[in-house]
Amino acid sequence: MAAPDSPSTALRRRDLCSRGIRLAGKMRADVVDLLDTYVEQQGLDASASVAAVEGVPLAAVERWDEQTGTQRLLENLAAYRAFRALLAQMLEEQREQLGEADAGLGRALAAVLLQVSAFAYHLEELLRLESRGVPSEEEDGPPPLPRLSLFEQKLRGLGVLRELAQWAVRSARDLRQLAKPSPATGTGPGLAESP
Amino acid sequence: MFSRWNWVACGFYLVLIICSPDASSGLVQSCGHIIPESPVLALGSNFTALCILNESCLDFGNIYASQIIWKIKNRVVPKEQYREINRTVSSVTFNDTSLLATPLTCNILADGQIEQNIYGITVAVGLAPEKPKNLSCIVHQISKFTYDMTCTWNPGRHTFLDTEFKLKYRWPEQVFPDCIPKGVNDSCTISDTQFFVNTEIWVEAENALGKAESDRLVVDPVDIVKPLSPQNVSVSSGILPTVLKLSWENWISDTVMKLKFNIRYRITGDTSWMEVPSEDTASPRTSFSVQGLRPYTEYAFSIRCMKEDGVGYWSNWSETKTGITTEDQPSKGPPIWRIINVGHSPASWIVHLMWKALKPFEANGVILQYEVTVRDKSSPSSPLKKYNVTSTNHTLQLPEGTYEVTLVARNSVGASPPSVLLIPASNSKAPVKNLTTLPKHDKLWVGWTAPNSYVLKYVIEWCLVSSSSDCIIEWQIALGDVQGIDLKGIKPFKCYLITVYPLYADGQGSGQSVKAYLKQDRPSKGPTVQTKKVGKAEAVLTWNHLTVEEQNGFIRNYTILYKTIDGNETVVTVDPSKTEYTLSSLTSDTLYTVRMMASTDNGSRTGPDFTFTTQKFGKGEIEAIVVPVCLAFLLIVLLGVLFCFNKRDLIKKHIWPIVPDPSKSNIAQWSPQVPAKHNFNAKDQMYPEGSFTDVSVVEIEADDKKSFSEQDLKPFDLLKKEKSTSEGHSSGIGGSSCMSSPRQSVSDSDEGETTQNTSSTVQYSTVVLNGYRDQTPVQIFSRSESTQPLLDSEERSEDHAGGADSTAQRQQYFRQNGGQDENNTDRPCFERAKQITHGNEGDLVGFVQLQVSGQSSQPLGLGMEKNTQEAALSNVLQTCTEGQTVRPETVEKNPLSVDDMPKSYLPQTVRQGGYMPQ
Repeated sequence: MAAPDSPSTALRRRDLCSRGIRLAGKMRADVVDLLDTYVEQQGLDASASVAAVEGVPLAAVERWDEQTGTQRLLENLAAYRAFRALLAQMLEEQREQLGEADAGLGRALAAVLLQVSAFAYHLEELLRLESRGVPSEEEDGPPPLPRLSLFEQKLRGLGVLRELAQWAVRSARDLRQLAKPSPATGTGPGLAESP
Repeated sequence: MFSRWNWVACGFYLVLIICSPDASSGLVQSCGHIIPESPVLALGSNFTALCILNESCLDFGNIYASQIIWKIKNRVVPKEQYREINRTVSSVTFNDTSLLATPLTCNILADGQIEQNIYGITVAVGLAPEKPKNLSCIVHQISKFTYDMTCTWNPGRHTFLDTEFKLKYRWPEQVFPDCIPKGVNDSCTISDTQFFVNTEIWVEAENALGKAESDRLVVDPVDIVKPLSPQNVSVSSGILPTVLKLSWENWISDTVMKLKFNIRYRITGDTSWMEVPSEDTASPRTSFSVQGLRPYTEYAFSIRCMKEDGVGYWSNWSETKTGITTEDQPSKGPPIWRIINVGHSPASWIVHLMWKALKPFEANGVILQYEVTVRDKSSPSSPLKKYNVTSTNHTLQLPEGTYEVTLVARNSVGASPPSVLLIPASNSKAPVKNLTTLPKHDKLWVGWTAPNSYVLKYVIEWCLVSSSSDCIIEWQIALGDVQGIDLKGIKPFKCYLITVYPLYADGQGSGQSVKAYLKQDRPSKGPTVQTKKVGKAEAVLTWNHLTVEEQNGFIRNYTILYKTIDGNETVVTVDPSKTEYTLSSLTSDTLYTVRMMASTDNGSRTGPDFTFTTQKFGKGEIEAIVVPVCLAFLLIVLLGVLFCFNKRDLIKKHIWPIVPDPSKSNIAQWSPQVPAKHNFNAKDQMYPEGSFTDVSVVEIEADDKKSFSEQDLKPFDLLKKEKSTSEGHSSGIGGSSCMSSPRQSVSDSDEGETTQNTSSTVQYSTVVLNGYRDQTPVQIFSRSESTQPLLDSEERSEDHAGGADSTAQRQQYFRQNGGQDENNTDRPCFERAKQITHGNEGDLVGFVQLQVSGQSSQPLGLGMEKNTQEAALSNVLQTCTEGQTVRPETVEKNPLSVDDMPKSYLPQTVRQGGYMPQ
């Protein structure tokens, strides 16, 4: 159980949550814009259905409203660390494929990657405020990604971006849930909120 | 020179080294080196350098540390700074590195005083970097998704060294690449800035002498964003004429940053902006309806934005977009006024109605027409007269009376409220009081005191006063509660006539006028002065007023400046209403220069000089001199006359000698054929002893025949000259024929024969020239039939007459008168004589000249002067009768021709004291 918040801790948490919510919002907006660019650049169909990609965490979860704050933070952190690795690989693959020919897509991917990293930092800070140790990346990090064909890489990239957009929505809701004052911060289940 | 020797030494040393036994170890081997090698030194610090000689060179070159010479560039360092540490090491010390320069060389003074360079180093002197200060960052939005963060700082003092500045930033667990400034040392821009993470930013400055870091700045870049201004701004008019809707697009989505806005607007053409209250636009939006605008007015809009919470920076103002509100009906009626002129027929007016176009904010649209309605209030039953006018004036011809004029302006939306002007039959109401003006910069303020009655409004008329054109009236209406307005468009240095009329509910007050200038200047020319009248000690100056265009202000006074050529200038100030002034106390007969100056409040201007000379005599002076002189002269004359009157007996005795009357002589009594003719007069009494028979006496007034008396003398003189030649001839009775007129002479000529016949009866002719002393003798012609010598008594009487003075007032001429009219016989001869002898007047006295028209004439003088008189007179008579016929009565009796006369008569020229018998 976490100790009761000091005023500074509560202020810090509220600040982190606020920034995290706005970052998630911006990240979602950027990812949505990036998705359009990506589909166009990669020659994909925007309506193409992509099956679950290995290594990509799913945003959808059952009994979301029953999760504790810490649990939410941990799931988010695991997901964004995974996305960070996926996006980094996508950026590398992008550079390998297109070189400097499409710098715009590369910059957009890099910007999203930075936002994912920033959001992961926010989550880690919030976990520290929860007096919870931050799991090391080695422990929770995703397994090495298998080598895929070029088309598979494109589809995987599409899946990553779509799932990241979903996660951005969920993360904003999670952080709003965390930002709500409660007697036992981070321990009780947050209030249900419609997406 | 020194440098050349250095090169020589170096060359020599190079050859020496190459040829040395150790040359095999390298191409060039130095005989020493300096420690430290290329140091970077702090400015102002101490510095010591060592020059270490190689042992191999000691033996070969026989050189030691004591021979080392230190140089900065080519300047030898003083030996006080050297220190020989051992035989191969020499040091030099500088207490202040600011004295150092590059290169610092170690040299050897070899044998033969040849200086050889051993080694050299470059020395860099500078400062360690200071801590960068005032670090600040701003995130500029470059595009919708791109944000660049630019940080600036104060790099501190100049270090004189290559100093590297790095802008460092990082997240707690992520370090980003440093931002290296390019070309500058006080700013750097980081691209792809990420928001919502606190970023630690600092600046690191580093050079060879040290490193310094600025304070750390921790900031979420989203809090220092300067967003792009909203784009695609558009303005659209709404339903209401006072509303315009402003729409735009934001560059930043709400998910990233919520924005608030500032909207400013102004009427196109205005310079000042109005702003929509900030609280109305403090929330995210993409449109806003601006209210409270004027109908049918073009507005310009601009908008800017910043983060909603106010943390960060305002964007730049967007580009200006304009929009026009829709029309509305005019908000007020046009101001209306009138000018009334008397019509052609009596009791009628020509009313010029004029009104001002509504201002745009009053018209609220395009005025399509004006509707004028005239109602005759003096006869309410008369119908209304309506006129639709598109201009701003209308002229009506109306009978005198009271009228109410209503004016309405109409646009596409509707009509304005009516403007009502009451035109009373007479302006009998109270006027304004204390009308004054006051210039205020470029406006002229007109103020007045309101009448006691309630005034609806005031009409202020003004016009530019001109001497060459009519006053073109401008006017303005002021509300009844004001007591002054500013007139605009007033030109400086021009005279304006301003009239204020109060308008009452039931009439109009009479106008009060004042002349005013917005700004005065000195007159553009001075008055031209001239004299109207110049006297001895005064002069009346006159001049014309300057025209209003020349005045440039109110003429406060005229100044007359006058002086003599060498005198001081006298100044006289004259009231500006006058056009004439009299200068007094002037010096007579003196040249004066006068000029005139007109003055306004702002200066004066002098007119041209005018000169005049005062008169020598004053008015009446000449009369005062002449009149007394004349009076004195008259008085003297009067006294002389009185004196003469009192002494008349004595004078008469001298100038009026006693002439014997031949009729009373014994000769007359002796002649039996001729009855004695008694023609007594005063002379008869004066000459009681003598008597004349058949003698006519002609008295000639001296005044009437002044020239005669003078002219008479000339032929008399001629007679004297011809005396010798004519002596012995008889003058006969020609003397009396001299008195005959030419016409009469012609008739006489016809009767010449008769004359000859009668002449035979005349036996004696006597001519008596009477004079006294030097006076002109009185010429007396007498013809006597007597052949007897005159009595002694008669001769004595002629002694007095022969010496008569020529200035005698009266002269008597005697001739033999046969009853002829004296006027006919005398006059032509006198007149002619007067003409000819004009140049010799005064020389002679007792002159007679005879001339016959159409014949050669000779001056014929009759005179008697002692012994010469006979010859002269005979000649005269002969000459005079050559061309004419003498027609005395006696001639008629003797019809002999004159030529024959010497044969028949031998007239005697009687000398004083006796007769010459013929």
